[in-house]
Amino acid sequence: MSGVSGQQSEYLVAHIQDALATDARTGELELDVRIAGGRVFLAGAVATTERRDAVERVVREVCPDYEVVNQLSVTERQQPGPSEPVS
Amino acid sequence: MIRIAAVGDLHAGPDSVGTIRPRFEGVTDRADLLLLAGDLTRRGTAEEGRIVAAELQGLDLPVIAVLGNHDHHSGEEATIRRSLEDAGVQVLEREGVVLEFDGATLGIAGTKGFGGGFAGASASAFGEREMKAFIGHTEELAAGLEAALAGLRADIRIALTHYAPVDATLAGERLEIFPFLGSYLLAEAIDRAGADLAIHGHAHRGTEKGVTAGGVTVRNVAETVIGHAYKVYRVGDRSADDVVGEATGRSSTSTTPSRP
Ligand SMILES: [Fe+2]
Ligand SMILES: [Fe+2]
Repeated sequence: MSGVSGQQSEYLVAHIQDALATDARTGELELDVRIAGGRVFLAGAVATTERRDAVERVVREVCPDYEVVNQLSVTERQQPGPSEPVS
Repeated sequence: MIRIAAVGDLHAGPDSVGTIRPRFEGVTDRADLLLLAGDLTRRGTAEEGRIVAAELQGLDLPVIAVLGNHDHHSGEEATIRRSLEDAGVQVLEREGVVLEFDGATLGIAGTKGFGGGFAGASASAFGEREMKAFIGHTEELAAGLEAALAGLRADIRIALTHYAPVDATLAGERLEIFPFLGSYLLAEAIDRAGADLAIHGHAHRGTEKGVTAGGVTVRNVAETVIGHAYKVYRVGDRSADDVVGEATGRSSTSTTPSRP
């Protein structure tokens, strides 16, 4: 995106993360947000597909001028393997 | 031998209805109890508490939980706790519980815990009252955990927290946020009171395996870390002879093995 300095995009990352934490549709604190080549990259794991979409929606609202690249995954929950002896 | 199923950070929301229960299908065949390491909800609302409680209700094994920071977000943690307890989930906050399995007793002491960082890079209760309140909260919960652990009369003892007691299980997280992920005060409490296993969640991008300075096994069971519906840990495998043989050089365990 033209006209955005590195410093401004750094603030924007923080604003996006803040929105993802506090927005009632998301409540996500541990996602990876990066701005590179004028695009917003989202990575990390969320609990459901609905939440993957909700995160993207919230980010688009915070920065409507940016292209959003949604690389979020939905947490895998395989059935457990053999138990581990710990004591 | 007792089999402990554990997972943290279920983060239930309205979109979780009907999705959590199926993950625990067959858990009673694999484990004797289930530990939940906090962040049962996404935004800590009473509604989310009811949702996760309904998903967990009627599981045919003891379910023990601590709450996490997300469960506190809406200020409705007391309601969430009540919903869970009504569903048969025991919630621990600076409290302990002792269960018996085939004559062996297993004690669990739990707290949410809090942050502050790890030895060499930790915050102190100094300066502004907000800073003192931050570290004071951690100190209070760590002291409560220690007392609850020390008070357990059981063959095997487990510490259950949401925040991490060690930084080893945070590997993968950004170093800058370590002070928000856990505190050495929790590990110090665990080492002082003695435990056979410490389970925590919260660090979604961390690592499963760690150990305290005193030699207590630590496991981060955040579901994004373990990649499974839950993990199963086995305690009490070793015979009394084995433990006596290994006792030299071990600093922290004060429990006695239960198996002949
Ligand atoms: Fe969490
Ligand atoms: Fe958490």
